[in-house]
Amino acid sequence: MKKKIFKNTILIILLLVVLCGVSIIGVLYSYFNKQYVSSLNQAAGYIAEGVNLSGLDFLTDLNENEKRITWVAADGTVLYDNKADPHTMENHKNRTEIKQAMTSSAGTSVRYSKTLSEETIYHAIRIADGSVVRVSVVRKSVPALLMKVLLPIILVLLLGVEFSAILAYRLSKQITTPLEAIDLDHPDESTVYDELSPFIRKIRIQNEQIQKAMTQLQAQKNEFALITENMQEGFLVVDKKEIVLSHNRSISTLFDVDESVDGKHVLEINRSEEFIDCIKKAIQGIHSEYICPVKGRFYNIYANPVFRNNEVAGAVVIITDVTEKEERENLRREFSANVSHELKTPLTSISGIAEIIKNGIVDEKDVKTFAGKIYDEARRLIHLVEDIIKLSQLDEGEQAVEKTPIDIYDLSRIEIHHLEPVAEERHIKINLQGEHMMISGIHSVLEEMVYNLIENAIKYNKEDGTIDVMIKKKKHRCEFCVKDSGIGIPADQLDRIFERFYRVDKSHSKEIGGTGLGLSIVKHGAKLHNAEIKIESALNVGTEINLIFPI
Amino acid sequence: MRNEYEKQLENLNVELIRMGALCEKVIAGTTKALFSGDAKYTSKSHAVEEEIDKSEHNIEHICMSLLLKQQPVASDFRFVSAALKLISDLERIGDQCADIADMIRFTTSYDLKDFKDLEEMSGAAKDMLSNAVEAYVKKDKDLAITVIQADDKVDALFDSVKKRLIKEIGKKAEDGEFYIDIIMIAKYYERIGDHATNVAEWVYYSITGEHI
Repeated sequence: MKKKIFKNTILIILLLVVLCGVSIIGVLYSYFNKQYVSSLNQAAGYIAEGVNLSGLDFLTDLNENEKRITWVAADGTVLYDNKADPHTMENHKNRTEIKQAMTSSAGTSVRYSKTLSEETIYHAIRIADGSVVRVSVVRKSVPALLMKVLLPIILVLLLGVEFSAILAYRLSKQITTPLEAIDLDHPDESTVYDELSPFIRKIRIQNEQIQKAMTQLQAQKNEFALITENMQEGFLVVDKKEIVLSHNRSISTLFDVDESVDGKHVLEINRSEEFIDCIKKAIQGIHSEYICPVKGRFYNIYANPVFRNNEVAGAVVIITDVTEKEERENLRREFSANVSHELKTPLTSISGIAEIIKNGIVDEKDVKTFAGKIYDEARRLIHLVEDIIKLSQLDEGEQAVEKTPIDIYDLSRIEIHHLEPVAEERHIKINLQGEHMMISGIHSVLEEMVYNLIENAIKYNKEDGTIDVMIKKKKHRCEFCVKDSGIGIPADQLDRIFERFYRVDKSHSKEIGGTGLGLSIVKHGAKLHNAEIKIESALNVGTEINLIFPI
Repeated sequence: MRNEYEKQLENLNVELIRMGALCEKVIAGTTKALFSGDAKYTSKSHAVEEEIDKSEHNIEHICMSLLLKQQPVASDFRFVSAALKLISDLERIGDQCADIADMIRFTTSYDLKDFKDLEEMSGAAKDMLSNAVEAYVKKDKDLAITVIQADDKVDALFDSVKKRLIKEIGKKAEDGEFYIDIIMIAKYYERIGDHATNVAEWVYYSITGEHI
């Protein structure tokens, strides 16, 4: 701005000086021109009169240096010239001014010499004898005059420029200093000239508006951050080039990445096909949902496209950990598959045997054996269905049945009594040790649990083995322990034996019998009694299962 | 100009992760197919292997154009040169998996459930690759070292598979061909472990500038 003010002022001064100079020269030039011509005319008239009266003598006596005086005879021959030798001069008959004078007693002409940049004004007068007296004077032309006035003009110009520079500097300073001094954050505090005050007011108002909007935005941002940061679910925003725009803390924990993934490609968060496909689809504008395995866990990836002006601008991705749900789902699927398989096997035998009998292939005496087989299979089916019913009842959870105080020792004795015949078949001895102890429980469920544990101890025992059933009091807990001297369970399968239908030795499960649901029932029963299960086992040495009940 | 350079470097990074992910995918798929006896995966395995090859060429091209047009220096240069080396190992892993996939049709009639050591070995090789790629993504040199150390485990497992197969082949000479196939598969896994080690070494180099 300062520069502009400066430039303009100086330009104006320059223009003024030049214009003044030109116009002064113009006016003066025309004025002096007139003066020149009239004085020339007068001089010419005077000289002509003199020549007329005294001839050549007048001219020679006339001591004239400034003007050039030429006397030309009627035939054009130069008779006299005060600046040149008349004999060397050519005939002047054809000169414009002479010609004019010959015909009309007087003539004038102006000739310009470019080389000298001079103008010569001629005035010729015819005298009585027909000869012509010519007087001429040299006048400086405009450029020549200009050259003369140039120096003063430049002087004036320099003065003007200097003066205007000072003026411009002061003016520009006066204009800009208050402007520069305005504190834009607090415009009210600055002192300015009146013309600026509307702007100051406007700035103040806008400042306030901006401040308000900023505070609002910040609040919204904080609110949003608060929501996303405290979300259990992973929250991820990506642009259409699959670059992460923002993510919440859950993303970092779910995918084990550090905070610096913003601005990087989503591949750096996770590179599994499902994850990338899911986001890719969302960016193509299709809502998509995938289950993606990540480091042994299952994540549900839920990606939604974000539209701006009818174009996909990116995607918002929500990630939830569904491992438990997925595992439960798997268990359920496995369970249904197992149940149908377990149900089908006995039914196939029953149907096959029945078909043989129906077709009359079986001898009368063998029918009994076959019927026995049908009976066995049917019993197995019933057991199985009963177990499934029990399990599903336990699954229902908090049964309406009230818990009553039960003497676990007595209960064990009764169950051992029930199972003794089975144990004796394999020469297995069952010892019951410990003390009477009352625990609060559901009788039928406890009975089932104790029965299943002892039955398993018999089933997976060796011939002539032993089983120790011990009831111990430990602090505020009651420990019920069944220890056998059986085949044991491989360590890597210990955590699987409580799964439904899980059999350690699948190939011999049919010989051993059972439904594969026993320990599952124990597990559910223990849960119902808030009891803890501990299991220790060594292959070919035996297994010890502890149920620890709170009293 | 510099902006373009940054973009190219980032592109190289993304493409490398993508290629690593493809390798993880092919090894996971092939292993699953091997132990479930599903020969259908063979063609899929080959398709992924082709993708890996294409990816290798693409990355090679990116590296070359980076080297020629941008003349990277210092750590950038290390990163680009390590990438060039790393992709050939990744590509070899793809090939080994395709080779394993080719053998699956000979093994489908056998139950591989008893080959726990082979299963463990394949899992270990797979983990090595996963961790090597992970080390690359996270620029985690400690993880790279873990991968390099894990190779001993794979080698030991290979020895145990080998010894067991020698015993088995003595007992059941009629299944000899199958056992030979298994030993080859085991060798492929062992090679995958070696390549994963190389990848980890290059990752270590690109992070620290030192060879391990």
